[in-house]
Parts: sequence; structure tokens; C-alpha cells
Amino acid sequence: MTAPRFARNEDGLVNPITPAGSPRTVWQRFGWLGWVVVLGLAFAFPYLVDRPRFWLPNIGVRSLWLGIIAMSLVFLNRYVGLLSLAQVTIAGVSAYGVGYVMVTLDQPAVAAIPVGILAGTIAGFLVALIAARTKAIYFLMITLALGQVFYSYASQAIEVTNARRGLAPIARTEPFNDISNFYWAVLVVAVICYLLCRYVAASSFGLALQGIRDSPERMQALGYKVNRYRVAAITFAAFIASIGGVVLVFDRAQVDPDVVSLASTLDVLVVAVIGGIGSLGGVFIGAIILTLLDNFAQDFTDRYMTLTGIVFILVLLFAPAGIAGIGKQVKRVIDRRRKTTVDDAESPQQEPAAEQPTDEAITKGKQR
Amino acid sequence: MDQFLLIALNGLTLAAVYFLVASGLTLIFGLMRVITMAHGTSYLLGGYLGYTIARETGNWILGALGAAAAVGLLGLFIHQVLIRRFQDDDMRVALVTLGVSLIGTDLMLAVFGGTATQVPIPKEYQVGLDIPLIGEYPLIRIVILLIAIAVGVGLTLFINKTRYGSIVRAGVDDSQMTSATGVNVRVVFASIFVLGSALAAFAGVVGGTLFPLLPGQDGTYLLFSLVVVIVGGMGSVPGAAIGAALVGLVSQFALVYAPTYSLVLTFALMVVVLAVRPQGILGRKAIA
Repeated sequence: MTAPRFARNEDGLVNPITPAGSPRTVWQRFGWLGWVVVLGLAFAFPYLVDRPRFWLPNIGVRSLWLGIIAMSLVFLNRYVGLLSLAQVTIAGVSAYGVGYVMVTLDQPAVAAIPVGILAGTIAGFLVALIAARTKAIYFLMITLALGQVFYSYASQAIEVTNARRGLAPIARTEPFNDISNFYWAVLVVAVICYLLCRYVAASSFGLALQGIRDSPERMQALGYKVNRYRVAAITFAAFIASIGGVVLVFDRAQVDPDVVSLASTLDVLVVAVIGGIGSLGGVFIGAIILTLLDNFAQDFTDRYMTLTGIVFILVLLFAPAGIAGIGKQVKRVIDRRRKTTVDDAESPQQEPAAEQPTDEAITKGKQR
Repeated sequence: MDQFLLIALNGLTLAAVYFLVASGLTLIFGLMRVITMAHGTSYLLGGYLGYTIARETGNWILGALGAAAAVGLLGLFIHQVLIRRFQDDDMRVALVTLGVSLIGTDLMLAVFGGTATQVPIPKEYQVGLDIPLIGEYPLIRIVILLIAIAVGVGLTLFINKTRYGSIVRAGVDDSQMTSATGVNVRVVFASIFVLGSALAAFAGVVGGTLFPLLPGQDGTYLLFSLVVVIVGGMGSVPGAAIGAALVGLVSQFALVYAPTYSLVLTFALMVVVLAVRPQGILGRKAIA
């Protein structure tokens, strides 16, 4: 792929908002600098904190795998318009795959990781076959229910998953037994996953997906096999989630049914919503906020879950685009203020309240 | 044969509880097209409140009514404050109510603790009933089965035969047109939400009478009521009854003949129904 001649927005579309020739905004010109700073901070993280032994596993690595799994959820929501609650389950299948090969079959990690990712991706494919025909709220419920099927299976099938006790130990080998090295490796993996999601979204496949999201009937009429695209997208998201699952299992050093419990599912959902359910990169902000809450809220309250829930609801009520969207939201409010003060008498209704861009809102669930 | 019938009867009484929970959900969804993920929370909270009231007063009926009223009020609050503003955006409603259930789970654990409790029942119901072919069977289970049937018939008649029911159905099909005819649609929607929440709380008291109340059951019952309404078809009370009966029977028979996979089989039922009939057994075909 040659370098794009036009500024592309995150959807991979030529940015329709900036008319040709108009001056590029500060962010468009220096956006890459922001990325350099963020990545630099992320890579320097082990040197920036006072107690790496606490910060790296509890905040660093955990945020990264939470973020990777949440990113697969956001990918599906943003580009396919499906909100899946099975992403944690898929990551869990992948984690169990790794655990089974390493603990039960006693094979090295090199053999276990591909098996785990393959298992998770296949699980995602199966979920897709069952759920791809449904949309919106039905998809949400079915993926939630499928997740619970696997949870009940994992906590009962003693010969495969070792039931409640789970599979352990899953040790990291040289050089990753050093937590800093492990953190850097995971960071690289997370960046690759992010770039991969962006690449797929900007490919012709990703564009077709967005077409299907916006108007499945029209895409069908154009000859696209809508269901196949959906299945492929869900499978791809499952691949990303599986990678998150592999990181998860090496971080926890074991895998048990708690990994796929309802609480874990909600954790990832909270991460996605707080970070911004339309933003692939925002999930990492959400993940950091959740892990910080998790680790520090207990200093002043026992009710950590209540606090998380309140933050979750507040974000949904007042900043539906999440933390990542707050900048734009503030800008929109300021713009509106400015506009109304400048020409309130002239044209009281110049615009019928601009429709929220799709990348900001939670995909509206409408299946009537 | 005896055992078979016994399992079937157990399945049906379990289905009675599932039906009571799911009927609230199917009302809220079917009539308002709003999915509340806090439904399991209403169930468990109702159970706990019913337990507290019944223990203090010694009156089961008072406990059931008190719990239904209190949770109904809570439902009104949730609907007015959290849901009404974006009632048409069901995905966001689902997420907000999921947040409510997250808070509810945590607070209930803090207040009622982690030990199992069971709603006390009057002495005169703690007896067995002789049923031909089966033998002695707890009277309370039969009573609960009858209560569920009565509620189901009552709800169906209410929606299909009364004037208020037709207003509700009209409000769903075309809320603008209905409000143009002078009906306050917002009040109608709010009252349906209250009714659905109260039903869930009532189901909690009933369920808490048969089985112990435990933390985590809010999630379990949310899932089971989701499965029941998916299987039966969204918004259909008779569908919820059929769905509940199927789920109850499958889970009880599986518990006897394939105990490890009881839950898996229950959910497999849902997958099969979805594959054959995505809108559920009695569900209306999706209208664009």
C-alpha cells in the first residue's frame, strides 16, 4: 500500500470534515508528536515509577491486556456495529488453550501460544456462526449468554479445565521472567494489535464492514455477502482478543474460571466505555483508570465495585464517547456557544443539531 | 415413571420462578423495547427485602407485597433518572442498567452479607401434599406453581383485553400517534417499568422461598430470564411461559441425567431455538 495522498481519519476514510485547502488543525499537523510522546512515556514507564515491582504487573501489564481485549470489543462496536460481551470468553478460551498445552501436556510456551490463539480464534468463529444473524441488543444478550455457557463449562469440566482450581503454574521463560522485559514485550504486542486493527479498518474489507454497519440492505443489494463479512469481522476481533488472552495467562501465571466470569466481562466493558467505545486507542486510558481504581480505591473505601459502577454510569450519561471523546465534546459545546452568541438572531436554527459522528456514539441498537 | 414425573414437576415449579422473573423482563422489553440488565438485581433485592419483612412481621404476603412495592419504586427512580433520557437508544440503556446491576451487586453484598438466607413460610404450608403417581410433594411448590399461572393469565388478559392494555400496545406501536390522541405515553412507559420491576421483586420473594438467596444470584437470574425471553420470544407473555417451562424442564432433567452439563444444555436449548427461529418461539418478526 502506497502512502495515502489524503489525510485519512481513523475510519480510513478521506476526512470529509476538512474541506480541501482549508488549513489543517494543530492536531492534524502535530498529531504524530502526541503519539511519540505517549509511546515514549509507555516505554519509559518502568523507569518512571518508584516501585516497578508493584506498578509493572498491577498497572502496566494488566492495563495492556485489558486494553487489548477491550480493543477487540471496540473494533466490533465501531466498525461492525456489534457490541459483543463474548470477547473476555474468547480471551479465556485462548488462555485455557495455553494452559492446557503447558500444564496438562507439559509442552513449552512456544508451542502453547499458537495453540491458544488458534483455539480462541476458532471459538470466536463459532460464536460468530451462532450470533452473526442477530443484531444490536440480541447480539449483546446472546454473546453474554454464550460467555456464561463457557463459564459454567470451565468451572465444571474437571478433565479439561481442572474445574474451579484451574490450570497452574504457567511460568514465563527467559528472558520474560523479568517483569520489565515482559512489560516491553507486551507493549510491543499491544502496539502491533492496534496498528493491525487500524490497518484492517482502513482496508477494503474494513470499508465494506462500515458500509454494512450503516446500511446492510444496501450492501446486500450491491452483492456483498453481509453475513460472511460479519463472521469474518467477529473472527478477526476474536484473534485480537486471543492475543490478549495469551498475555493474560502469562501475567496471572494460571487460568481459572474467574478469568471468564461475569465480573471479568464487565471489567472489559467498563474499560471500553470509560476509555471511549468509539476509540481504539482510548481503551488503554480506560484500562489504566480501571486498574488504578482497582488498586487504590481500597485505601479509602471497601466498595470498589460501587465506585466503578458509578464512574461507568456517569461516563455513559455525560460523556458517551468516553474519555477519548471528551476533547471533541468540549469543543462542540464551545463551538455551539460561540455560534449562538455571534449570530443568534440571524439564524436561530441554522443546523438541525448535527448528528453525532458514528465514531463517537455507542452504536445505536435498533432491531425492531 | 415416578421419578420421571417428579423431575417434571420439579422442572415446572422451577419454571414458575423463571416465568415470574422473565415476565417482568418481557413486559419491559416487549412494551418499551428497553432491555434492563438490572433485572436480576431487582430479583435479588426483592428476595432480600421480602425476607427481611417476612422475618420481622411473620407475614409472607406482606413481605411479597412490600418487596414488590419497594423495588417498583426503585424501578421508577431508575427509569426516570437514568433511562428516560435516551430510552430509544437501547444499547445505552442496556449499558447503564448493567452499571446499576454492578452497583447493586456490591451494595447488596455489603448490606445482606454473603450467607444464604431463605424467606420463611407460614407453618400451614410446610406440609406435603399427596399427589397420585408421585407421592408426597411439598404444598408450597404447588402453591407457587398456581401463583405463577394466575399471574401469567392475569398479565395476558390485562394486556390483551383491558383498555389500559390496548393503550400500552398502541403506545408501543406508535408512541407519537398515541400521545396525539391524548394519552400521556410517558406515564404509560413509566408504569410498565414499575410493573416489570415489581414482578421481578415478587419473583425474588417466591424464588427466595423455594431456594436460598445468595450473592451472585442476580447475575444468574438475569441470565436465565434473558434465556427465557430469547427462547419464548421478546414481549410475549405466553412465550415467556413456554420458554420458562422449557428452560425449567431441560435444566431439571439435565441435572438428573447429565449433571455436569446441566447449565451447558440449558444454554444449548437457546442456541438451537436461535438457529431455527431467531425471534423466539412466539416472538413477532422484527419490524424495521
